Amino acid sequence: MRLKHGHTFLELHQLRAGDGLPLLLLHQLRGSSADWGTPPEWSGSVYALDFSGHGHSGWLAGGGYYPELLAGDADAALAHLERAAVAGAGLGAYIALMLASARAAAVPAALLLPGRGLEGAGPVPEYEAPFPEIDAIGAANADGFDPFVEMTEYFVRPPEYAFELVSAAQRVLLADSGERPPWWVALRSCRNVEAVPPDLNTAIRRLALSSPG
Amino acid sequence: MEAPEFPGTAVPDRSLTYESMGLRLHALEWGSIDSPPLVLCHGMWDHARSFATVAPFLSRCYRVIALDGRGHGDSQWADAYNWMACVSDIIHLIRSLESPIFLIGHSMGGGQATDAARAVPDRVKKLVNIDGFGPPPMPAGTPSIPVRFSEFLDFRRRITKHPTWRPYRSLDELAERRHAQNPRLSLEWLRYFSYHGGRLSDEGWIWKSDPQMAQGMGPWVPEWIAPSYRTLRMPVLAITGSEPDTWGPLPESILAERLSNIPQLERCTIKGAGHFVHIEKPADTAQVILDFLGSA
Repeated sequence: MRLKHGHTFLELHQLRAGDGLPLLLLHQLRGSSADWGTPPEWSGSVYALDFSGHGHSGWLAGGGYYPELLAGDADAALAHLERAAVAGAGLGAYIALMLASARAAAVPAALLLPGRGLEGAGPVPEYEAPFPEIDAIGAANADGFDPFVEMTEYFVRPPEYAFELVSAAQRVLLADSGERPPWWVALRSCRNVEAVPPDLNTAIRRLALSSPG
Repeated sequence: MEAPEFPGTAVPDRSLTYESMGLRLHALEWGSIDSPPLVLCHGMWDHARSFATVAPFLSRCYRVIALDGRGHGDSQWADAYNWMACVSDIIHLIRSLESPIFLIGHSMGGGQATDAARAVPDRVKKLVNIDGFGPPPMPAGTPSIPVRFSEFLDFRRRITKHPTWRPYRSLDELAERRHAQNPRLSLEWLRYFSYHGGRLSDEGWIWKSDPQMAQGMGPWVPEWIAPSYRTLRMPVLAITGSEPDTWGPLPESILAERLSNIPQLERCTIKGAGHFVHIEKPADTAQVILDFLGSA
């Protein structure tokens, strides 16, 4: 179905119908709802969003993508579903954290999976770093996505920001293996955070256990 | 209706359009096209005419190019307004000009001009920042990030449903609305300013600027401003007004600490001016700018 956010439109795909709490899937940077393949087992309906600039959703005139704005995309999907468990990969994981924090009453649990766009521009501003070559970003070869979505990777992701976000969430699951950026590592010690195996189907089963009806 | 006049303004000599990240952006020009280029960047909710009284002084020596930022004035609306994109818009204009430029910004435009100057130091000979040194540190009692972020998402839901401004019955009412926010600026000026920053729709007078810009959210904190100043490689003139205003100037202790990071700094306080230094005291402001740009 087609949703609206700001001046642009978004495609929210229903992958599976069911009763009970819906599951909202948020794809990685430069990905799309098609990334999820066969939808995971879930008792309620399963939905996958295309973020703006990706898949079948609209591209933002003038680029200007940033993670918090794409969280507005996810929030438009949540407004439609009213309540949902959320699973996100890469950039979608960072956004799943934001949504679970700002919309805690509507998101009983969020699952954070690795994927493209997990890093951002690191934990602190690097003042000596060269300014991004915006024209080169815009002119890059891109298949099925707006090359300017790359701008989401140019914003700093401080651990204390993630820490403050997670403090307001109900429950956050980290599909936790391997190297992770500092914002992710900061979540590990929080009381409402739980590590789960990185395998998608196993992780989703754990998400279901953490998401009462 | 006929365009209101305001004493000391001059009709622009030319307009300029250029493209940035696929957006069509607009600028007004005063002065000879053969003079050294001087690029001006306005503040939030302003537009190129905010420099209409200072431009006639500057255009005697310079090709004055006053930009309408994305979503402002006669520039195209964008779907998103991240800071980096706004800075890129300024860089694109700078790179489109043949010779290195002088750069001036006010308020938010001062901050963006500063970041543009840091990004392309070989293209910016000197920088003037008019009371664009960022907000003060967040006061105690500022709501937490999750609370502010949920307010941001609420705003995004509202603006998606109602993406337009409230219309006003007359230009005078539009000017009075702005006067409530900027009480130091005269209604006569604000009529001139609002005529060019607004338009008459079927419902009444509305702002041309994009209401979507109203709110942003992210991990950014004011403490990130000062260290960025250390990387400025050109002479910088920092201008503030002497009078308290609804926005700025920063308390002197905070401002002095931030500015102490600028390697080549000159400072000037314009007596009797508030935040809109160049609008309240155009001749005085132009003089200190001309002295600074002309000095070796």
